[in-house]
Amino acid sequence: MMGVTMAFGERVLFRDLNLALNHGETIGISGPSGGGKSTLLRIAVNLVSPTAGRVLFHGKDVTEWDPRELRRSMILVPQQASMFPGNVRENLLWGLRIHRLEASEERLRDVLSQVNLPVSMLDKTAGNLSGGEKQRVAIARALLLEPEVLLLDEPTAALDDDSTEVVEESIQRVISDQDIGVMIVTHNSEQAQRLADRIIEIGNSRGGQ
Amino acid sequence: MMIQIPTLMDWLATLPPEVVTAAQGYVVAMILLAIILLLNRWQGLGVGNKLIVGTIRGTIQIILMALILVEIFALEDMIIIFAVLLFMATFAAYTVRGNLDYIPGVFRTSLPGVIVGGVGVMLLVTFLGIIQQRGEFIIPMGGMVIGNSMGMTSLILDRMWSNAQKQRALMETALALGATPLQATELTIREAIRSGMLPNLNRYASLGIVSIPGLMSGMIIGGANPVAAAFYQVIIFIMIFLATVVCGIIVSRLFLREMFNDRYQLTVPPPTE
Repeated sequence: MMGVTMAFGERVLFRDLNLALNHGETIGISGPSGGGKSTLLRIAVNLVSPTAGRVLFHGKDVTEWDPRELRRSMILVPQQASMFPGNVRENLLWGLRIHRLEASEERLRDVLSQVNLPVSMLDKTAGNLSGGEKQRVAIARALLLEPEVLLLDEPTAALDDDSTEVVEESIQRVISDQDIGVMIVTHNSEQAQRLADRIIEIGNSRGGQ
Repeated sequence: MMIQIPTLMDWLATLPPEVVTAAQGYVVAMILLAIILLLNRWQGLGVGNKLIVGTIRGTIQIILMALILVEIFALEDMIIIFAVLLFMATFAAYTVRGNLDYIPGVFRTSLPGVIVGGVGVMLLVTFLGIIQQRGEFIIPMGGMVIGNSMGMTSLILDRMWSNAQKQRALMETALALGATPLQATELTIREAIRSGMLPNLNRYASLGIVSIPGLMSGMIIGGANPVAAAFYQVIIFIMIFLATVVCGIIVSRLFLREMFNDRYQLTVPPPTE
């Protein structure tokens, strides 16, 4: 990210932010809520355009990428884990289907175990899962596309302590098992410290480092 | 020489008796309108103004239409007949825009859908020789087909827009996985087309038993053979289904340009509380 500024009218979320995510690295982004942390992730995958500045992925401006390819290689898992209608299997396959890809049953099991979910979960109705389970299905759904970068937006903000622990454990496992770059947004600075190689504060009028 | 001032009563006395009877019925039917307005207020439906304006506007429109209908029905020039249908389609798109004034781009999205779906189906059945090339067949059937396409259009636009607001998170989740706007909205579109067809599917299933629809009744009252009228009624249903589905597919695709930009970003504003 080069000199990224985001403002809504008079209100500046962050100004002239510079940030680089290296291959295999995990960056924690913390700061007060409403400070623009989520917006930063949305800018990264070009779901919103910044007021100023550029985001490069593999040296190419994200606006020049085919949005489908960009968002397949760099996947944002939003804070509110939304499930598509149907069961967990259909949800896991949803991302693959839109890219005309398939996955074996074994691959589905592997990815479920990566996020600490039992295989029996596959046939459950996704809408009936608990918040923590949905969050892990959402992460698994992203992992199936084998992204190079995973952007996690407040993965545990809406969860109770027990679920938070399980989800955090799953993320920990993903980080250590997979050779991917991760950016994790959290308002919980302890969590950021537990998961990330380095931490960036955002939302105190000036961000970045 | 005596000069007489023409009075309203004189004019009324010249009206045919059946017009007077119908007009009296119309006045009494305002009681029903009053009941709807009360229900509207009680249930907070927010359609009161539309009903009142619609009654006034609709009455004027249809009386004017009635006055020229004999001429229109007698038309045999296909170019003029289809020009009338194009005018009806344009008016339909204009009406949808008026009813969905909180959504941008409604007219330019609706018009191609109603023209290709509604007018296109009329061209097709005329070309196939299914209906006679006369105004009295093409205009009223075209009216039904275009009217139903109009209903489908407004339902789809309303659904797509409100889902982009209410199910925003789900749509953005789809986009974040690399979905195209069409993939991100396919469920909404499918459900909207299905709901748009549902009322007609109900009428279709109960055809002849619960519903004895307009075209057939009109033809029988007009002296046509009831069995011939029955065939035409089934034909018109098939035409309506084809027109509404084609219209729905076109409108939904075109509307994606109003909901997303070419970076595949959702541009629909979040709902205002």
